[in-house]
Amino acid sequence: MKILPTECPSCNSRLKAKILVCQHCQTEIQGEYELPALTKLSQEDQSFIIEFIKSSGSLKEMARLLRLSYPTVRNRLDEIIERLKQAENNEEN
Amino acid sequence: MNEVKANGKTTSCRSIGQWLFNPFRFIAGYKAFLLGLGIILISAFLGFLGNTHFDGVLDVHTGVEAPMWFFFAEGIIDWLSLVVPLFFFGLIISSSAIRLTDVFGTQALARWPYLITSIVMLPEANRRFITYLISRSNPTASSATLNYADMCIFIFAAVVTVFMIVWMVALMYRAYVVSCNIKGAKAIITFIVSIIGAEVLSKLLILFLLQEKVTQSMKAP
Repeated sequence: MKILPTECPSCNSRLKAKILVCQHCQTEIQGEYELPALTKLSQEDQSFIIEFIKSSGSLKEMARLLRLSYPTVRNRLDEIIERLKQAENNEEN
Repeated sequence: MNEVKANGKTTSCRSIGQWLFNPFRFIAGYKAFLLGLGIILISAFLGFLGNTHFDGVLDVHTGVEAPMWFFFAEGIIDWLSLVVPLFFFGLIISSSAIRLTDVFGTQALARWPYLITSIVMLPEANRRFITYLISRSNPTASSATLNYADMCIFIFAAVVTVFMIVWMVALMYRAYVVSCNIKGAKAIITFIVSIIGAEVLSKLLILFLLQEKVTQSMKAP
């Protein structure tokens, strides 16, 4: 599966979606659409968040799945939250 | 974070280095608490057998006889003297919701190198060599002869103990970083302050509280 680019390779600015295509009838919709907030995170962080949601937001369950200690998983989640906040702040400024 | 995807499941890579210097990545909470407490108690019992005192957060001394409970009390005091300031710093500095069991458990487990120290300090040769050193430095003490085998065993135990102290401090720091989620200069400064404070506190508690009780129990018929 191809990785969705979120930053411009030329100037590192955040990219937006301009064309959306229906895979069934090939209808194209043009516009300027913001990418979802989670795309501001790395693929690894996104995978972590998806697993976290699948675990009903239980850090204990995540720790069991990843075979890591509870504080290690909690620290990882806190780091991701911090990165999301920073990304949002950068966009606002 | 070293993670690999196997059969669609994400699991963590566990190297020997991580187990040796940061086992808290994999174990914390009540498991670390029970394991660590067990290690502290076993170390204390071996200390009793070999007259090895952990009479301060980082201290190891040998030679003074005392009742068994004294050795257990030393281990518990050493552990709690450090955990309390670290937990306090964690509460005021960390932005994470830290858990009491993680801080107490990981710090208990971080003391495991002293289990090795209590084993290498078991041989009677260590005390014989210390008796020899005392007799050399004190002309009024009864004379003792130098046994080279005793000296070699003592040097080996001393070298191992120095390594164990360094290793234990490294583990204590990692335990603090993981359990309280504090990094960088804040972690280093608060850890150094805590360990110095804990060393003073544990020394005072062991000297003033326990030694008085030992004297009392020694006097009792």
